[in-house]
Amino acid sequence: MRKWLVPALVVAVVAAFVLWRFSPGTQTPTVVVYVSHDQVFSEPILKDFEKETGIKVRAVYDTEETKSTGTMNRLIAEKSNPQADVYWANEPVRAEVLRQQAIAAPYLSPNAEGISASFKDPDGYWTGFAARARVLIVNKNATAKPDSVLAYGDPGWRGRAVMANPLFGTTTTEIAALFVLWGDERAAAFMNALRANGVKLSPSNGDSADLVARGEFAFSLVDTDDVVSRVRQQQPVELVYPDQGADGIGCFVVPNAVVLIAGAPHPDMARKLIDYLLSKDVEAKLARSDAAQIPLHPGVEGPPELRPIDKLKTTQVNYAEIAAKLQAIQPFLKRWVESGW
Amino acid sequence: MVTERLVLVAATLVLAAVGLLPVAAMLKETLIADGRFSLGAYRALLASGDHLALLMSHSLQLAFLTASLATLIGVPLGVLLGKTDLPWRGALTLVFAAPLLIPSYVLAVAWLSMVGRTGLLGGILPEAWSREIASAFFGLFGCTFVLAAAFMPIATLLMIAFLRNINPELENAGRLVSGWLGVLARITLPVVAPAIVFAAVLIFLLSLGEIGVPMYLRFPVYPVETLTQFAAFYDLRAATVTAAPLLLVTLAVLGLQNRLHKRVLQLGRRTPRGEAVQITLGIWRLPLFALVLAFAAVVVAVPLGALAVQSFSVDAYALAFARAGDSILRSLAFAAAGASLLAVLGFFWGYLAERRTLFLWWTNEWIALLLLALPGSVIGIGLISLWNTKATSFIYASPAILILGYLAQYAILPTRVVAASLHAVPRSLEQAAWLSGAGWIATLRLIVAPLARRGLVAAWLISFVFALRDVAISIVVYPPGADTLPVRILTLMANGAPSVIAALCIILIAVTLLPLAAAGLWLKFSVARP
Amino acid sequence: MSAIEFRSVAKVYRARRVIDSLSFTIEAGERVVLFGPSGCGKSTTLLLIAGLVAPDSGEIWLHGKVVSTAGRIHAAPRSRGVGMVFQDLALWPHMSVAENIGFGLRARRVAAAECRRRIDDIASLVGLGDYLQVRPGELSGGEQQRVALARALALQPRFLLMDEPLSNLDAVLSRRLRGEILRLHAELGFTLVYVTHGQEEAQEIGSRTIELGESRAL
Repeated sequence: MRKWLVPALVVAVVAAFVLWRFSPGTQTPTVVVYVSHDQVFSEPILKDFEKETGIKVRAVYDTEETKSTGTMNRLIAEKSNPQADVYWANEPVRAEVLRQQAIAAPYLSPNAEGISASFKDPDGYWTGFAARARVLIVNKNATAKPDSVLAYGDPGWRGRAVMANPLFGTTTTEIAALFVLWGDERAAAFMNALRANGVKLSPSNGDSADLVARGEFAFSLVDTDDVVSRVRQQQPVELVYPDQGADGIGCFVVPNAVVLIAGAPHPDMARKLIDYLLSKDVEAKLARSDAAQIPLHPGVEGPPELRPIDKLKTTQVNYAEIAAKLQAIQPFLKRWVESGW
Repeated sequence: MVTERLVLVAATLVLAAVGLLPVAAMLKETLIADGRFSLGAYRALLASGDHLALLMSHSLQLAFLTASLATLIGVPLGVLLGKTDLPWRGALTLVFAAPLLIPSYVLAVAWLSMVGRTGLLGGILPEAWSREIASAFFGLFGCTFVLAAAFMPIATLLMIAFLRNINPELENAGRLVSGWLGVLARITLPVVAPAIVFAAVLIFLLSLGEIGVPMYLRFPVYPVETLTQFAAFYDLRAATVTAAPLLLVTLAVLGLQNRLHKRVLQLGRRTPRGEAVQITLGIWRLPLFALVLAFAAVVVAVPLGALAVQSFSVDAYALAFARAGDSILRSLAFAAAGASLLAVLGFFWGYLAERRTLFLWWTNEWIALLLLALPGSVIGIGLISLWNTKATSFIYASPAILILGYLAQYAILPTRVVAASLHAVPRSLEQAAWLSGAGWIATLRLIVAPLARRGLVAAWLISFVFALRDVAISIVVYPPGADTLPVRILTLMANGAPSVIAALCIILIAVTLLPLAAAGLWLKFSVARP
Repeated sequence: MSAIEFRSVAKVYRARRVIDSLSFTIEAGERVVLFGPSGCGKSTTLLLIAGLVAPDSGEIWLHGKVVSTAGRIHAAPRSRGVGMVFQDLALWPHMSVAENIGFGLRARRVAAAECRRRIDDIASLVGLGDYLQVRPGELSGGEQQRVALARALALQPRFLLMDEPLSNLDAVLSRRLRGEILRLHAELGFTLVYVTHGQEEAQEIGSRTIELGESRAL
């Protein structure tokens, strides 16, 4: 009988310790942030915030969309009793979805000054910073280099292109942008041309980049940080900015977006964190890191491998429209993906 | 007995509250649109019927093939490791258990790094061969292979545990007239058949709910639909509705299992000489050992070796600990707490399943099996809907919510293991104690639990392994700042250095194997005492 | 040449010297009772004769051939011609009575028709004719005893070992079965080694008694 007592006590003590240690504390100032930006890059920024302000950061990170349901669903499910103070989105459409679902609250940060109006919500429901651009990653041994997203529909590239699943992430956003830019008919035709051209789907941008680096495909549309990281690992790939010509649509820019959550438990701390994230300092850090993010504040030095934002021809399109269009084309995209299996 | 009834009813209610209530909350949501009752979500589901049927058939194929393969190989392996004098049995058991411990997605990545065109095999084999192998790997073949390798340990470990419980005299009676192959085929395995069926069902359900591996290897399966509804459309209602067919499949499987599973009664009392009979392999000992070693090399050493090689530097491990050190400790603590609760509750659930002393004794097992079949993300969101209120915040915002998730999803495991071990403890032993004046609880504590202690330890261990490796629920409900190691591995996979990811996987395997090894040693030395 | 010969056989089991330097001979056709208090190694002796366990020292000879020595079993159990009725009968619960009895015949690849004949014979010999298709779980204690007995006799063994077979039965049944065992012995002529700690039983069954001493703790 005594044999059971000791293990039982140990377990009880451990359980009590765990619950005490990890329960919400009331003394130290705390801010809770849900993060969709890769943990590898975002965590150091948040740790710096902790060091500089003494405010404890408790974070929930995302995996790549195709591996789990992630933070967005948690935010939506928690709507009636929010646990998060701030949401660090890795692209603005998610922020728009939150605004539409009345989960976001407006906040115009002083540090948002200098960021172009096309990269923030006019009422302050979200503010963009540290962007990626959608570019082409091309295998160095490919016989020719594509220079436009239209290459996906070009029979000359038949079977040699891969794309991340268009139901998730930045790929969805860009396709929605195309629908806004070109109109429904032309965009749908383009998507069907992709299907006819034997474009393969991969679970994520990272997987696409790996497949191109391994030589299984010639090119793929991915984010700038996917290319930069493989280039820095000295894999046989190079970066091509698509559609930079005079009548090209330009390359699509996807900024991070920070959102104040409505009903946040710690609203003052939340505003402090948002100000911090929108500072030039943080943009410089994110530019220097392997995230290779392009700063949106003028005068901040960007990653050496990438052109600064003012030297890049970018797709001119409104994110609120993209968000609305995205919801509209969801059934089409779903059918498109399904028909490919 | 009144106490018995009260406690067992309470235990059942706990299972219902922890597991069914969240799901019921979500199901309720699926029937309401704009504040009114509506079947619209279900109609939408049926509308994509054709496509879903295709996905479901893929999932069923994958689950069936994986369960068959894993059982076909895992059962003989379990016999070899649990019942013969094969050398290094204990170490080999731990080795074979390793693939179960890491997220199966990581296993797929490790395998592909070996067999992909630029992998190790690609460097050795001629181009045409490696291209064939690589392309065969994408699709049903690769998924089955990876998942069978990941889940085979379930069949093996369950066999080893259940083989201990067989009455040795049944086998001895057979040995008087037949060689060991005959005894195994006609006596041992039929008697252990319920365990084999359970292992197969478990592997089937786990494979049915797999998302990561099939998506990575580009084989479209049904659970992807749930994920899509969540991750692409943020449509919680549609996601829950999509889970409904999975429940139907599970019910069908349960029905099938009940048909196959005939209650096997053990006659007479268990003899005082309770030791299981060991098979001496004689001249077969070394050849079989070589065979098992070769098999371990292919199935386990290859992917884990790939991981180890990738992580092979002090830097990688240093960085791994820097990035994830705190989550390692948390994972162990949460899994241990979850396993302990599962073992205690599982004891009562298993008692009810085995003794059948309440009217609706079968409800526990059915609820628990259904909960296993549900995608973890659905359970997770259900937990949020149920527990995220001002009043229950102290639970929701603490690790307790994770524990509740483990309880819900993995309840079936300790239940079955305990039920099996209680099978060998005749009720007459309890009745004798009651007649002597002991109450029901005292009898459990003084008579039943000590006799079933091997089963209890096994129940704790299996709960620990599954709680530790859990990702689907953890990622949805973990308290901010308190993530677990498998979650950390997945979040770092997006752009984390492969060497650090590999190091984290090796660490995960190590911290899971340590309690298993300790328990193995305890079990071995506890045999010496009667 | 004796049927069974033990030469200084010792067996240690869980840190107890269960059998210590045991030597005896049993002639063919004898009825011998192993007698002694609990824990003195009676059941273990049966297992040693059957070859289901190996002695720690000493030698065991059957019909002039050495079958077990220290730590080694030279003749596998199924080659020794041993039938055994276990203490808790060990009837296979998933097989019918006929299948239980016929298991050994099928293992020896006896033809189906011949199998059936022999099963019928042995079943009527012990009085089980009506129960062949039933599972053991559905039989009474006495009927189960007979199944165990029939199974042990199915292959016409040279040796019949019985481990306290009548301990769970009432006096009337016990006496009747004792009589049947004696009758079968007279008819079939096997060497009987019978374990019991009942005086009356020992005197009735056995023509000779071997008394085993108390086991010693090491």
